Amino acid sequence: MEYLQSLLKEIGLEPERARMFNLSAAMAGKFVEAAKEMTEKVTELGPNPLKSKMKDER
Amino acid sequence: MIVAEQKSLEEIKKLVGNAKKVLVAGCGTCVTVCFAGGSREAAIVSAELRMSTKLAGDPKEVADVTVQRQCEWEYLDEIAEQVQGVDVVLSLGCGVGVQAIAEHFPNVWVVPGLNTKFMGLPTEQGVWAERCAACGDCILGLTGGICPIARCSKSLLNGPCGGSLDGHCEINAEVPCGWQLIYDRLKSMGKLEVLMEIQAPKNWRTSRDGGPRKIVREDLRLVSEEK
Amino acid sequence: MTQDALQIIAYCCEHCAYAAADLAGGLRIQYPPSVRVVMLPCTGKMDVLLALKAFEDGADGIMTAG
Repeated sequence: MEYLQSLLKEIGLEPERARMFNLSAAMAGKFVEAAKEMTEKVTELGPNPLKSKMKDER
Repeated sequence: MIVAEQKSLEEIKKLVGNAKKVLVAGCGTCVTVCFAGGSREAAIVSAELRMSTKLAGDPKEVADVTVQRQCEWEYLDEIAEQVQGVDVVLSLGCGVGVQAIAEHFPNVWVVPGLNTKFMGLPTEQGVWAERCAACGDCILGLTGGICPIARCSKSLLNGPCGGSLDGHCEINAEVPCGWQLIYDRLKSMGKLEVLMEIQAPKNWRTSRDGGPRKIVREDLRLVSEEK
Repeated sequence: MTQDALQIIAYCCEHCAYAAADLAGGLRIQYPPSVRVVMLPCTGKMDVLLALKAFEDGADGIMTAG
């Protein structure tokens, strides 16, 4: 995960876009919590800048 | 094995320059096992280049390919077509690989993606250490299999210098004294008497001091028959 | 940009996080639709290349859970 985040940084993407969560099969609540946390973080960062560049090409 | 380290993406981007089509060429031998330039690393560098150049508004066409060994023409022939079709080849091979591509494809612009470091081995997962300096005249038989050329910072031949302290080298406490290693090994093998023989100054002409080196084996050559 | 338009790829271990996501569904607990679950046989299968590919194809974020 650290390696991936360092790669993202080098590329020019926010390393916070990737995260690891530890949970077990019984942790439905924690999965939902993680999903919400991640959505909040990414909403804050905004969409992947590569996406708008892709649209330009089309 | 030959041990190498990847250059930073920033330096790689500078080397690639304004080329539009890039081929990242990995090598399946030494640099694969030291995690610097194998097929996996080639795919990662190629994705990195595609994304970062796109973000910078100068998208490049980047593909990757890996051959078994970049240092042999036969393996390079396999990628001849791909190599000819791009503006620049970013070689993730060692210095030999980069030069083999340049030599084999005279009209192809090739740049290095790695810094070739040394000949060595992994001492633990994620750690590589130098073991051989390719001096061209091996003396490991005199020192119990530990090389004073590669392992002693001063490449001394007759015991440690005054900077050897508690088994460490004076250049850095993390570097073990090569001669301490040799002494300990010979002692544990009961062969300390080997050290009583004084070694004359080494003939460095077999090393890099004699200029670029070359080996010719007439018994293996094909040209001798063709003549 | 609304949350719905975001794409977050959740790489989940078949035996833990994927089961947890399944359970969340079974229990009718709502989670953001931006999260798309991809099942892996084990989080050990997770790879930097997989994540880079996701970002290259326009994912806004990735999470690995297991």
